[in-house]
Amino acid sequence: MRMNRVYGKLGGWRAFVLLVGILANGLAGAGAQAQNIAIRGATILTVTRGTIQNGTVLIQNGKITAVGTNVNIPAGTRIVDGTGKYIMPGIIDAHSHLGMDTGLNEGAESVTPEVKIEVRADALNIYRALAGGTTTLNVLHGSANVVGGQAALVKLKWGTTPDEMLIDDAPRIVKFALGENPKRSNSTPQAGQERRFPATRMGVEQTLRWWFTEAQKYKKGWTDYNQAVKTDKTALMPRRDLRLEALSDIIDGKIWVHAHSYREDEIMMLMKVAEDFGFRIKTFQHVLEGYKVADEIAKHGAGASTFADMWAYKMEAWDAIPHNATLMARRGVNVSMNSDSDERVRRLYQEAAIAIKYGGATEEEALRMITINPAWQMGIDQRTGSIEVGKDGDVAIFNGHPFAPASRVEMTIIEGKVYFDRDQAMTLEKLLRTLVTTTDGVLP
Amino acid sequence: MKARSDERRATSWAAPLLILAALLPASLNAQASQGTAGTYFLRGGTVVTMTGQRLAGANVLIQNGKIAGVGANVQAPAGATTIDAAGKFVYPGMIDSQTDMGLSEIGSVAATQDVTELGTYNPHMKALTAVNPSSELIAVSRVNGVTTVITAPSGGMISGQAALIHLDGWTQDEMAVKPVAGYIINYPRSGGGGGRGGRGGGGGEPEGDAAARTAQQIAELREYLTRAKDYDRVRDGGSRTLDIQLEGLRPLFSGEAPAIVMADNKEQIEGAFKLADDFGIKIVISGGDEGYKVASELARRGVPVILGSIQSAPAADVPYDAVFANPGVLHRAGVKIAFSTGDGSNARHVPYHAALATAYGLPLDAAMQALTINPAQIWGVADRVGTIEIGKIADVFVTSGDPLDIRSIVSEVFIDGKRIKFDDRHTRLYEKYNARPKKN
Repeated sequence: MRMNRVYGKLGGWRAFVLLVGILANGLAGAGAQAQNIAIRGATILTVTRGTIQNGTVLIQNGKITAVGTNVNIPAGTRIVDGTGKYIMPGIIDAHSHLGMDTGLNEGAESVTPEVKIEVRADALNIYRALAGGTTTLNVLHGSANVVGGQAALVKLKWGTTPDEMLIDDAPRIVKFALGENPKRSNSTPQAGQERRFPATRMGVEQTLRWWFTEAQKYKKGWTDYNQAVKTDKTALMPRRDLRLEALSDIIDGKIWVHAHSYREDEIMMLMKVAEDFGFRIKTFQHVLEGYKVADEIAKHGAGASTFADMWAYKMEAWDAIPHNATLMARRGVNVSMNSDSDERVRRLYQEAAIAIKYGGATEEEALRMITINPAWQMGIDQRTGSIEVGKDGDVAIFNGHPFAPASRVEMTIIEGKVYFDRDQAMTLEKLLRTLVTTTDGVLP
Repeated sequence: MKARSDERRATSWAAPLLILAALLPASLNAQASQGTAGTYFLRGGTVVTMTGQRLAGANVLIQNGKIAGVGANVQAPAGATTIDAAGKFVYPGMIDSQTDMGLSEIGSVAATQDVTELGTYNPHMKALTAVNPSSELIAVSRVNGVTTVITAPSGGMISGQAALIHLDGWTQDEMAVKPVAGYIINYPRSGGGGGRGGRGGGGGEPEGDAAARTAQQIAELREYLTRAKDYDRVRDGGSRTLDIQLEGLRPLFSGEAPAIVMADNKEQIEGAFKLADDFGIKIVISGGDEGYKVASELARRGVPVILGSIQSAPAADVPYDAVFANPGVLHRAGVKIAFSTGDGSNARHVPYHAALATAYGLPLDAAMQALTINPAQIWGVADRVGTIEIGKIADVFVTSGDPLDIRSIVSEVFIDGKRIKFDDRHTRLYEKYNARPKKN
């Protein structure tokens, strides 16, 4: 029920489609203009370097070039008045399916690491995520497969192209999934179809072990060949297999694993499997029982990307608690709050604040959970996720503290370009004012 | 034979497991306790009465389940339990005006679902019948200051009777504030689209077919209501022939309970107006995504709107902030609004739904009204709940700050004058694993 509510709103007031479309598209066009921009006189939540009152952020050629209270703004720079406003790093969501259209899963088989995601650059929900201050996504496959496909790490450069949205030199990430979804507990096969293997958590483990064993053989085949061919030009080249090649890259750490998980036992299982094959899990996704094995996760070196407060929607979410994020963080786990939803991605700042309420995270810890921490999980923390000189000019400007009620996003900037500006955006109030004569007189 | 030996093994394991369970701290096994009755004196807080007053340094006296005193001069009687509220804020309990609390435990586990009965017309189904007082969701929700919720069935055309319940009580009768708060009517809608209001349009169905089907459904609904109204008239005339379905609807025609019409788009809301006019019934709109299109008419008619989850994505063809800004538009037009999560597991966050609306035009005090006094008025219980006034049921909570601010921490909750212990499923798991010895 919840998911239907979140996703399923289409249709309705067709007369306004055009108007909204024109305004939104017009803005994207304007946003594509490269410019140097300075936000002046704001409270700056740098995340990694504390809070600066009455400060200025200068972005030049897409990069942050100055942050502080005494910043020289060169002539020709666009100046945004930040008086009374708060600036934070552009929000990063380590778990999204935005812009994938349909077909989240390559679900016919349970191991498919060779497939890759392409994100539509014109998806309306990109614009709406920008309106919530989000600039960067980890777009993952669904969770039907034990080993899903490769993610797309994108910045929300709405109205550009799928290729332009991809983050240069970002790590390759593959989605794994454990528990109810890959064992297909909550779906009934169609008449005449058999259940797909695996159907238990035991089967999930052995699926992983079987395939990684195959990948080891495959790797050895190539290693042996590469050795042999140095002296024997007639050595037989192994047959290239894209699936086993991807699995070999996982073993070699060339592809990072983000693993959908719920229960503590499956979290423990996956860490052991990875360690046995010589690699590490980069990040557990959802990981709603992560708080039960936080020390083990920290020791393994994995991050955790979780929901702020989602529980009771299925059996493996029955022990989920809203204190999860803070409990894991307190034991040394890098924790992020994710959306996994085109709705929640518009208000991840609210989700982060939940960590303060439950378990007592500090405001800075909560901010980290939607900025620098997910950046680390995605391997892009050197270039984004905090307001520091040399980093990408990715910021969100709020009219108040991001965690306060009545606060909203006024402007979202990626690499110095304005992709959302509430002053320019079509809002409900503007629409009602514009259309007062054509509606039945509704004007506040 | 193998299965049998497995069974035996399972049995032989059971005894040590039981002993182990007995050794665990009692609080890990126990369900949350019910509230404790008593005389309570909340001292020196800022009391926000929701009658327009904000009393700094005021006391609140709770006695015999009622609010017995409010103000700086109120004294603690002998034997009262004093709770220091200095530096804190005291508010009337918040109300979530649509959930499935107590009817649904674990979403994907069918055995725990009592929300949707089979069939199309179920006006005789009573939510209160199936409210599980031991639901873990109840205890988890109330510790954030949500003391009262509408719990409602769903599905079909007429889903049944929603109940207004307290989130505390040993039985569902003790929980009931208003056993029949309203009748859920899912107004048919044509065209695609979600929202939670109304019966979904046929996916992929040609537009003409969908419109015809919707018209047919509306005609059927109206025919059913005509029959029910006729039945009501005949019963008023002295007939003793009972129809258990139609009998269930009689409070709708007597005006004792409104129709809660699930309606998101303009056409549905206007259809609900017509039901009100033609059948002489009171209506409450639930959902109301396109309320802004008919705000002046809603205000003129005095029809209140229970906003559907503000944590919802807007339709594709409306501005990005439509769901967030709609409550403010309705409020300014003079429509009485209330908030809802639609979901028991999310009910504790109903103030944060309201907070999203405050960022887009709804004044902060109007948001608090929409969580307290407004729903009390909409559900016809404003003489008993919704404000902090002498003589009202003592539904009260103490918080460190603005309830709309996620960072505020609720420290005390009273429901029906009973003090709530903060020992729900989540706090118990938190305490257990927070205390797990560090593993190196």
